[in-house]
Amino acid sequence: MKTIYILVLFVVVAIAQIFVPAHMIWNNEDTITTGKPYRFKTMPIDPTDPFRGKYITLRYDMNRYEISDSTYVYGDKIYVYIQNDEHGFAKVDQISKEELDIDQDYVIAKVTGNYNNKVKFRLPFNRYYMEETKAPKAELAYVKANRDSLIDNVYGLVYIKGDAAVLEDVIINDVSIKEYVDQ
Amino acid sequence: MSSKFNKELQVLVKDKVISPELSEKIKQYYTIKNSNKPNRLFTIFGVFGALLIGSGIILMLAHNWDDFSRVTKTILAFVPLVLGQFFSGYSILKNKSITWKEASGTFLFFSVGASIALVGQIYNIPGDLGTFLETWIILCLPLIYLLRSHALTILLLIFSASYAFEATEWSYRDTETPWLYIVFLFAIIPHYWKLLKTNISSNVVTVFNWIIPLSISYALSAFVERAELFGFLMYITLFGIFYIIGRGVVFKELSNLRNGFLISGSLGTVTCLMIFTFRWIWEDLPEEFILNTQGFYTALVLFMIGLSGLIYAVVKQGIRSINIFQIAFLVFWSIYFLPVEIMFPAVLTNLLVFALGISAIKIGADKFNFGILNYGMLIISILIVCRFFDTGMSFVIRGILFVAVGAGFFLTNYVMLKKQQKLKI
Repeated sequence: MKTIYILVLFVVVAIAQIFVPAHMIWNNEDTITTGKPYRFKTMPIDPTDPFRGKYITLRYDMNRYEISDSTYVYGDKIYVYIQNDEHGFAKVDQISKEELDIDQDYVIAKVTGNYNNKVKFRLPFNRYYMEETKAPKAELAYVKANRDSLIDNVYGLVYIKGDAAVLEDVIINDVSIKEYVDQ
Repeated sequence: MSSKFNKELQVLVKDKVISPELSEKIKQYYTIKNSNKPNRLFTIFGVFGALLIGSGIILMLAHNWDDFSRVTKTILAFVPLVLGQFFSGYSILKNKSITWKEASGTFLFFSVGASIALVGQIYNIPGDLGTFLETWIILCLPLIYLLRSHALTILLLIFSASYAFEATEWSYRDTETPWLYIVFLFAIIPHYWKLLKTNISSNVVTVFNWIIPLSISYALSAFVERAELFGFLMYITLFGIFYIIGRGVVFKELSNLRNGFLISGSLGTVTCLMIFTFRWIWEDLPEEFILNTQGFYTALVLFMIGLSGLIYAVVKQGIRSINIFQIAFLVFWSIYFLPVEIMFPAVLTNLLVFALGISAIKIGADKFNFGILNYGMLIISILIVCRFFDTGMSFVIRGILFVAVGAGFFLTNYVMLKKQQKLKI
């Protein structure tokens, strides 16, 4: 093949290589700037990803919904419609297998179990990347604060717009977890 | 030209085998010939350099620098990517040497990974390692053909296999089958095939001959999920396919060590079958199989591929060229689904492994290859050692068997050595 054709194809590939991360940035920025923020109560634990570094996995309190419906099975993709409770934390309003024609924010989750009339699910935004040295400290700080009953509000600040949900920060006692571990 | 070669030439001139003029001519011939060739060592160092720099960048970015603002991090995500693209584009435009293409391609591969990893960190984008690797591989696959890079192909083979493994392993107990692995593999194979056709004896082909079967064997474990019953069947069939490929006409001139398909196929077949020579594994199998499962269909597809390969080999090379290693998987399939008592299939598998051992000894003896001969002896020895544990044979018989096999080792090697010496005379 002629060099010029190879070069043209290479340019197409190069554009795709730039487009994919750029598109990711665009989508996430759009959600953060124009989406609505919600607070999801959570607890952090710390594992590692070989390429993306240290992160904390978040286990959200909002992980089940009482409903007597055996058609929800493990692995199903569901729409979890949310609203704020009296303390300002996100809570489930209803769940559905299809997107409903209502003006309410939702997150897309995956069913992890269905028993005792409770559908258990897992929220997608469960990774929060932290500086290598801070991630283990974050877990320890959380465990310590929790043991001393100092924590009444640990939550993930999540911006939601349409299908997109961006985890912006994890807050422990009104302080970002990044600053909390330095305290 | 190597100094060893120069010394040899000097010796030949000194011993008056060739004239000094001829020696000079030979030297000149090789100097001109080698000047057109890319420096292989330089290419290898170039690739390793790019590999280390690229993965170093990924590791540095994985630190997740808190002090950098989101904008700084975003710029950092694109700098290595654009640099990699510039060097790769430049080497295509100027039609630079292989070293340039290999090194810039390797660097670009890692910078693509670094870029999407960093964006993932900045926005805490959900998704397991499998999803991340999938995006990375898709964005880099076309580079194999645009840069004609072997290093990239090897990297993509390794990363595709880890994608297949991760896609099932870490997606919170999900058993999603990584079908995309097959697409990745098919995208890579034309590059390998072209190399096989043009430069089969090169070291790169040898690396591919090993790395392709290893990658597929590793990835197949992801397809075994929820199909434990057919897992071994899938593997034995796969190893059968490898062996058939390894015995193909294309690989005929290759030495065994360079033929990864043949060795991995043979070793894999024997190892898996050896497990089925035990009675307990047959006791664990259900009386009736549920065939309407993904695991069975995957095994069936592999079986069809293996069978087609075998038929092709028979047509191309004749029925006499077929040895028992090539049909071992077929025999095992019939034993596996045989609706009889547990003892019977176990005995049949023992006979099959024994036959494989004998066949290897025969191949070794025919080719005067001590390695293959002793491999056959080893198969039989291991089979006997295995039976040592699960049969009610008396100690005397076991002892006699061991002595017999030990004597067999000496005898066959001795007989062959004598034969070889005779032939040399």
